[in-house]
Amino acid sequence: MNRARTKIGSGEWRTVMRVDPFYATNLVSSLDQAQASQQQLTSELSSGVRVSSLSDDPVAAGENTVLLDQIQQDDSFTTSSSTVTGQLQVADSALGSVVTQLTSAISLATSANNGTMNSSNVKSVSSQISGILDEVESLANTNYQGQYIFAGGKTSTAPFSTSTTTSPAVTTYDGDQDVNYLVTPSGQKIQLNVPGSQIFLASGSSSVFGALNSLIADYSSGTVDTAQAVSDTEALSSALNNVSQQRVTIDNSITQVTAASDAVSNVETQLTTAQTNLMQADIPTVSTQLSLSETQQTALEDVIAQLNSSSNDLFSKLPA
Amino acid sequence: MGTISSALSIMSQALDADQEALNVVANNVANANTAGYTEETPDWQENQPISISGVSYGQGVTETGSTSERDRVLESRLDQQQQLAASSSTRLTALDTLQALFTSASSSSSSTAGNIGSDITSFFNSFSSLEANPTENSLRQSVLSAASTLAGDISGAAASLNSQKASLDQEAAGTTSQVNALTGAIAQLNQQIQTTSPNADAGTLEDQRQEDLSQLSQLVGINQITTQNNGMEITTTSGQLLVSEGTSYQMTTGTVNGVTDFFVNNTDITADLATGGGSLGGYLTARDTDIPSALSSLDQLAYSISTSVNKQNNSGTDYDGVEGNVANSANAALNIFSEPTTVAGSAASMSVVMTDPNQIAAAGAGDGTGDDSNAIALAALNSSTSTIVGGKTPSNYYANFVTTLGSTVSAVKTENTAQEASVTQLQTQNDALSGVNLNDEASSMTTLERSYQAASQVFTMLNTVMASALNLGDQTTVG
Repeated sequence: MNRARTKIGSGEWRTVMRVDPFYATNLVSSLDQAQASQQQLTSELSSGVRVSSLSDDPVAAGENTVLLDQIQQDDSFTTSSSTVTGQLQVADSALGSVVTQLTSAISLATSANNGTMNSSNVKSVSSQISGILDEVESLANTNYQGQYIFAGGKTSTAPFSTSTTTSPAVTTYDGDQDVNYLVTPSGQKIQLNVPGSQIFLASGSSSVFGALNSLIADYSSGTVDTAQAVSDTEALSSALNNVSQQRVTIDNSITQVTAASDAVSNVETQLTTAQTNLMQADIPTVSTQLSLSETQQTALEDVIAQLNSSSNDLFSKLPA
Repeated sequence: MGTISSALSIMSQALDADQEALNVVANNVANANTAGYTEETPDWQENQPISISGVSYGQGVTETGSTSERDRVLESRLDQQQQLAASSSTRLTALDTLQALFTSASSSSSSTAGNIGSDITSFFNSFSSLEANPTENSLRQSVLSAASTLAGDISGAAASLNSQKASLDQEAAGTTSQVNALTGAIAQLNQQIQTTSPNADAGTLEDQRQEDLSQLSQLVGINQITTQNNGMEITTTSGQLLVSEGTSYQMTTGTVNGVTDFFVNNTDITADLATGGGSLGGYLTARDTDIPSALSSLDQLAYSISTSVNKQNNSGTDYDGVEGNVANSANAALNIFSEPTTVAGSAASMSVVMTDPNQIAAAGAGDGTGDDSNAIALAALNSSTSTIVGGKTPSNYYANFVTTLGSTVSAVKTENTAQEASVTQLQTQNDALSGVNLNDEASSMTTLERSYQAASQVFTMLNTVMASALNLGDQTTVG
């Protein structure tokens, strides 16, 4: 409150207490503020979001961007992992069938090797194994959604083909040694494929197609070179073991993808909770604030109405 | 010795004085709502007494005019505070518009369009999805569509920033004519005040000058220096002369480097005006500091994403078996984004040039088309180990930018609230002193009315006394 020296009427100086004659204007600006705060609170209530502009809470806004980034990454990984699981399961089941086929080839070869079969039976074994070879080759050329899954990176063309111009016939691999990975949000790399050559044309005595082609040639004439045939049968057994080992890699990947997907889902749930807590309006608090603000507004309106009424003026008290 | 006629003369002077004082009060009441009007109080002066035979006789009163209730220090402080408040409030309005461009998404499920943060994530996620099935056409399509959304939102934000900058520039330039009109008016008032009232308060003229100063304070930051004979010198806060007593110096504008610069006497005072205050200061701070800073962050983001993604895509092999050309990325076959040449302007020109989704190089160099090693490398550009934008991942860089921008807006908001409160306080103080208080006026009015009544009563009684003296006791001759 200001004190000013003034002289009125009497000509004598005196000190009087001065007040702002426009105080009602200041009250109106308080009223504006109360209304603005109600607007903000109402929008928080209706949207349920606490931070409607960056300046409301800059740190939360930045944190929110990071959280949403992680949540979306997790979300995207969960989707990818189901695609990948499908592909891995197709590979696993193809290799399962290969194992069955090879087991029956080995039992055919074993019975042919014991020397009790006549020539035509031996030839029949040869053609049965030839049938198995076709089956295994077709399994090795398995495609998933148009992509050959045992072709390494060259997934657009069938990786295995057999040329019968020589004896024994030769099965060649057109794929490459490429291995694909899926990277989890935490950076873990999960192997998605095994190049077909590692499974079916492993070096040394573990080549599936090598052993099968040799056995077909061994039995094709009807007479059996027992030593050679036994050695080739052992090679096929060893090849079967190799297929099983490679299948374990695929099975491990399936387990890893499932585990990673579960972990990511858990993390995503936690992150979503954190993000919701960060951004969500605290409804009881906001409601209380809104109610307080409304009370304040009513009070202010009453005061302004009272002050602006004509009876609050000394002039109105003067005789007319 | 006093005479009846001198007493009559004293009373007639008193009646005149009361009338003049009533005139002052009436003028106060009439101007109660006039902007810039300062309440005036009547000045009374006791007449010189005369001494007859060693006895002093009072000679009544004269009304010598009125005095404006003014506190120059308070007014000048109010002006200064208004300059600061006007500057921060203008800047805040600009920043509010600016930050609306980057308002954060409330949840991951909401539409990602329009939110650059989500766009960045979606774009790099599209490469992660491609890891699972690098040859899938729909996944490749979604890389391109995510890239278009990202480029569209970044270039859209840059375009909005540029147009906001242009409109701020226009508003700032438009301020000059107002400033010149006000400084011209103040110079003229200075002349009048110096001529008519060199030694005392010039009343209404000073009210007008103060009102002009207060309006000028809303526009630019100024210093006022009182000179001799009640004159005034006004400079910008950096000391550039705008008004020197009766002379005003025009503020002119000119285009420098694509924006409007401000000159007085051929001196470029743009940078000083920006820090000086007033709404012009606010416009210029937003135009020259806030928007360029946001734009340069976006440019950096756009430049780094465009160049890094292009480079990485050119390091691989696409679905048709074509290998990119890393050595010359400007002419490289497998650019996803148009390759920016400079950081500045990257955001505004960010666009997707790739139309064929087969050109996305998911496979590593020399690998078969089913390989995904390059897709992994592309997705890794936004992984936690990436440092492609200012030592951060694109997402973290953007989050950092959002926090910085939000903090700036929040700081300016707080600053503005404090300054507005201070303006209100000073305004209240000033109004308490200089505003017309109708209750005071009513009370003065009553006092003066009574005083006038008393004077006229005394006059009537003196008249009777005079008549008695003229008739020497005969009651009938003079009425």
